[in-house]
Amino acid sequence: MTNLTLLTDQLHTVAPQTELLTSSADLERFTVDGCAPQLAALPATIEDVAALIQFASERRLAVLPVGNGSDLGLGQPPERYDLALCTARLNTLLEHEAADLTCSVQAGMPLAELQQRLETKGQFLALDPPNSERTTIGGVLAANVSGPQRLRYGAARDLVIGLRVVLGDGTIARSGGKVVKNVAGYDLNKLYIGSLGTLGVIVEANFKLIPRPEHEETLLVAFESVTAAMQTVSDLLSSVVTPTAIELLDPAAQVVLPEHTTQTVPGTGFLLAISFAGGAKAVARQLADTRATAMRHSGSPRGLLEGAAHESFWAAVRVQQIGPVVCKVSLLINDVASFLSHTQVICQEQQLESSASAHAGSGVIYLQLRPSDATERLAIAITQLRAQAEQSRGNLVITHAPTTLKAQVNVWGDPHPDLRLMAALKQKFDPDNTLVKGRFVGGL
Amino acid sequence: MMAMDAGAKAALVAELGAIVGASHVLSSDYDLMMYEYDASIDRSRPDVVVFPASTAEVSAIVKLANRHNVPFVARGAGTGLSGGAVPLQGGIVIAFQRMNRILEIDYTNLRAFVQPGVVNLHLSNAMTPNGFYYVPDPSSQKSCTIGGNVGENSGGPHTLIYGVTTNHVLGLEVVLPDGEIIEVGGPTLDTPGYDLTGLLVGSEGTLGIVTSITVRIVHQCEAVKTLVGIFNTVDDATNTVSGIVEAGIIPAALEMMDQIILQAVEDYIHAGYPLDAAAVLLIEVEGLRDTVDEQVSQVVAVCEANQARAVRIAKDEPERQLLWRGRKEAFGAVGRVSHEFYVQDGVVPRTKLPFVLDRVNAICASYSLRVGNVFHAGDGNLHPLILFDSQIPGQVEKVRQAGFEILKVCADAGGSITGEHGVGMEKSNAMPLIFSDADLSVMTRVREAFNPHNLCNPGKIFPTPGRCADMKLVIGQEHSPAYAQAEADGAWH
Repeated sequence: MTNLTLLTDQLHTVAPQTELLTSSADLERFTVDGCAPQLAALPATIEDVAALIQFASERRLAVLPVGNGSDLGLGQPPERYDLALCTARLNTLLEHEAADLTCSVQAGMPLAELQQRLETKGQFLALDPPNSERTTIGGVLAANVSGPQRLRYGAARDLVIGLRVVLGDGTIARSGGKVVKNVAGYDLNKLYIGSLGTLGVIVEANFKLIPRPEHEETLLVAFESVTAAMQTVSDLLSSVVTPTAIELLDPAAQVVLPEHTTQTVPGTGFLLAISFAGGAKAVARQLADTRATAMRHSGSPRGLLEGAAHESFWAAVRVQQIGPVVCKVSLLINDVASFLSHTQVICQEQQLESSASAHAGSGVIYLQLRPSDATERLAIAITQLRAQAEQSRGNLVITHAPTTLKAQVNVWGDPHPDLRLMAALKQKFDPDNTLVKGRFVGGL
Repeated sequence: MMAMDAGAKAALVAELGAIVGASHVLSSDYDLMMYEYDASIDRSRPDVVVFPASTAEVSAIVKLANRHNVPFVARGAGTGLSGGAVPLQGGIVIAFQRMNRILEIDYTNLRAFVQPGVVNLHLSNAMTPNGFYYVPDPSSQKSCTIGGNVGENSGGPHTLIYGVTTNHVLGLEVVLPDGEIIEVGGPTLDTPGYDLTGLLVGSEGTLGIVTSITVRIVHQCEAVKTLVGIFNTVDDATNTVSGIVEAGIIPAALEMMDQIILQAVEDYIHAGYPLDAAAVLLIEVEGLRDTVDEQVSQVVAVCEANQARAVRIAKDEPERQLLWRGRKEAFGAVGRVSHEFYVQDGVVPRTKLPFVLDRVNAICASYSLRVGNVFHAGDGNLHPLILFDSQIPGQVEKVRQAGFEILKVCADAGGSITGEHGVGMEKSNAMPLIFSDADLSVMTRVREAFNPHNLCNPGKIFPTPGRCADMKLVIGQEHSPAYAQAEADGAWH
């Protein structure tokens, strides 16, 4: 009997409701930065998740929680990786209390599937990361991915009201609850969101929901200069309009937009897309205000999108957040224009191509860099861009990169003095380092 | 509580004086009396109160406390309703009166940077001329501080759409329980690493002392309309709450007051609330000038569908302000009717409000206690005020029992034991109603990671073994000047 069959036999005993995968073909999709696990476990119950983690802890196996693997590229390469714990079979919508605008869902359900279920009662979860067909609820929360609509609705930290998590020592614990307002005990939801599976495996999540708006519409405006576009953004944020999203696309980023929208856009300037949701009258009034503001800054209105055109446009915008090399840069709104100009200079110096799409009202830029195999030049450019971001009190995280590039430049940047606290928390939640180490900030 | 011996106290006072200047240290019995309360029922006297003027001074004080092995507790305005600022084990109270500066308001980037002692309303007032404000608005906002709001993750009537304190705090400067100064989060979004800002907000001063706060600011709305729905039964009012939300309307505020509260408020504020109604809803909608009226008519239709006796729309700003004054000073008004009352802060899913309110009233009736309800109906956050007289033997114990039973009803309905006031000491024994031993042990691990010697605000959130027995409810005694001031300010939700 080989070690592996012995292991699978033992796992079947401790976690009977779990499907095990061991063939290299099956394990391919669980590969992270070139490291493949020895096996993947797909538990059907939360008790099995806990049993698997306890077993792994006793055997000193390193476990990586995985959903459908959409965001597995985030982070540094793992130190050790033995077992993929895949939550895909934990995919039940436990409750949808429409009248209370809340729901409770298991972590393995893909986001798009949850949205379809909520849609039947005219509601939605206000998270719009890319790849929603594939990415699971657990993955969205662990990687803290978001999308353009965070401007209006916030990110995961603003929408999660409760979590159920299996910690690194197998403890099953709840945090928060099922009500929208709750200050009982520490707000551990915040701690788990974005912790990339280093503290525990998220197995259930409770959310607050939003009624589907009656009407949504997007205004496109072209600008000659990024400065004029960003002045428009500033003016909008200091006014009575409440856009759901404001996206700024540089010329290169506009290439992937659906044809029906690019027809109306010149290839040389910057494009601002401003979206509104609500009653038809409210949307119309805000579109009119926005058009006037944009024109004061020499913007050229390029049409309105609604219905399917609106949907496909924003889907294309979200795709900008994914690519072979992507940096996510968080800045103050006022620093976005100068950062983008600086990016042009640095990329020219390093002979790199770039395309930028920014949630301009939130100060978050997604910057794609090419070619992805220009490791040395990419490392130099990213280091310079990171310095620029940090100088203006922002940060730069590499969300997508080949493993070779991660060896040259840390995807998170240098840790801050608060790493001491993070390390202390990791030690308390996962004392034996059962959950894969090395991928998160400061090697956690 | 064991008092410090006189020699040790004198040495501590002298060393604190060397840090902040002798005139910024209080240690006489007379002065300390002012700091044994907040607006809750707990009281406990500190050994010394110190008023730092800078983060460096706070750090030095905390390091000194560690050397002397003395507990320390941060205090803002003392308006908290769960004893967050009460030094249960004595020691040092670090009061933030002198650290009350707005450091910077950055309108372009929608951020404000404040010291913890800044009064909540002062920040919004400072931005009014520019058309901006800070969203969370606890009813005590005229006196409570933003540092205290961060400690308790305070809410307020206008947090239905835009969330509570944690949704508006982006970064903190913190003096850790060992005296080290660190920064977490920052003015930009998504700082890499664990969201320590989110963890610290609402940690009730047990994980560190906040010395600077970065908050989000937002532009004011173009138009606001406030209306009052008047109902003959409490059920009609609560059904209206669900009806409004089901209709897809999320108002800016959705508050309820029942008859006992209305009578007390009218007697005090004369805002024109009806005395014979079973309940009223105070509803505010905001948005664009062109669309607010549309929302108002939708809300009116829901009220009428639920047998509202009348719906009144505030005709102008003074009337609107008066209606809100009635709501925000309701606790103070009740204080005029019954010298003593006890407030709970349970939360339930909105749809459970009719059932839970029935239960609250039945529980209080079973103890022959009067109860008034004034609360944030829109998010299911109840504030039953149980009236009592501590001179009647056994009544304090009845109040305590009734309060606990109410929290149990909230927990059983899928809710929480506190929505915005915090757990403090008084509700720590109710934590097991909503959290398992495992859940609580995880929270304990967090405290151990930050505050291993438990000198930073000990005795809060978690039940302290061996201490519960000798803690008595101290409601019904003469209230402190701070309490009286808080009452006058309408310092309660």
